[in-house]
Amino acid sequence: MNVPISAYLTLSGALLFLGMLGVMRRRNPLMLLLSVELMLNAGNIVLVGFSREWNDPAGQIFALVVMVVAAAEVVIGLGLVVAVFRSRINLDVDEMSSMRG
Amino acid sequence: MGEKIAFAVAAVGILGFGIGVVFLKDAFRAAVALIGTLLSVSLLFVILSAPFVAAIQVIVYAGAIVVLFLFVIAYLGDRGVVPGPDRLERFQVFGWLALGGLGAFGAIAILGSSPGPAGEPPAVTDVGSPAAIGHAFLDSYLVPFEATSLVLLVAAVGAVLLAKRAVQLEGGR
Repeated sequence: MNVPISAYLTLSGALLFLGMLGVMRRRNPLMLLLSVELMLNAGNIVLVGFSREWNDPAGQIFALVVMVVAAAEVVIGLGLVVAVFRSRINLDVDEMSSMRG
Repeated sequence: MGEKIAFAVAAVGILGFGIGVVFLKDAFRAAVALIGTLLSVSLLFVILSAPFVAAIQVIVYAGAIVVLFLFVIAYLGDRGVVPGPDRLERFQVFGWLALGGLGAFGAIAILGSSPGPAGEPPAVTDVGSPAAIGHAFLDSYLVPFEATSLVLLVAAVGAVLLAKRAVQLEGGR
């Protein structure tokens, strides 16, 4: 293994940091979802990196499960965004304070 | 050596496009920048000798999920988005404090850790090939495999219900 695992950890940490920054400063729920995708990818990098480090397929299995969960999350999240848009509320996460449909 | 060059290319791509995702104003451009990040991550998976995960990353993430994003962005356009300042305006100090603390903690954790016992690395077998992944899924991880199918089913039903309720709210059809 040429590149040490700490390089992957550092890269993943930086990506997670970027995703958190995006979640904190965006107002548009679409952009929030994009930033959450960044954070999920940071997790996947670590999972696959340790799978390679320890020669164990479990990390890759979990990375695939994370992808499935990300797909489900995006479907529900975008469905919510479209529903909020149709009920003529502004697309601003600070204004969406009601849990009533 | 080649591995290090490829890692550097992937790292620059991930961080560069990631900054684009977080800081670009236009939603469409941010989604396209996300494609760059996802493709760079899949390059990283190829370096890590996980070709199956890399392929799924390109097909599911850069394909399906980003297309879904682009579809919704094209459907909504710029309508409904309130132009305005950062959400952080009032609590900016706390947000930056939290981010800085987390970054410092991660840096300390990575720089302060010992590289671990320098024994011989485990023999590299093809844990990343489609056959190995399939065997691992069906032999050892059958319950997570079935749970993902349940998650996908619930997500599909939930999306249909959301869309139905939204149409009813519009008073139509």
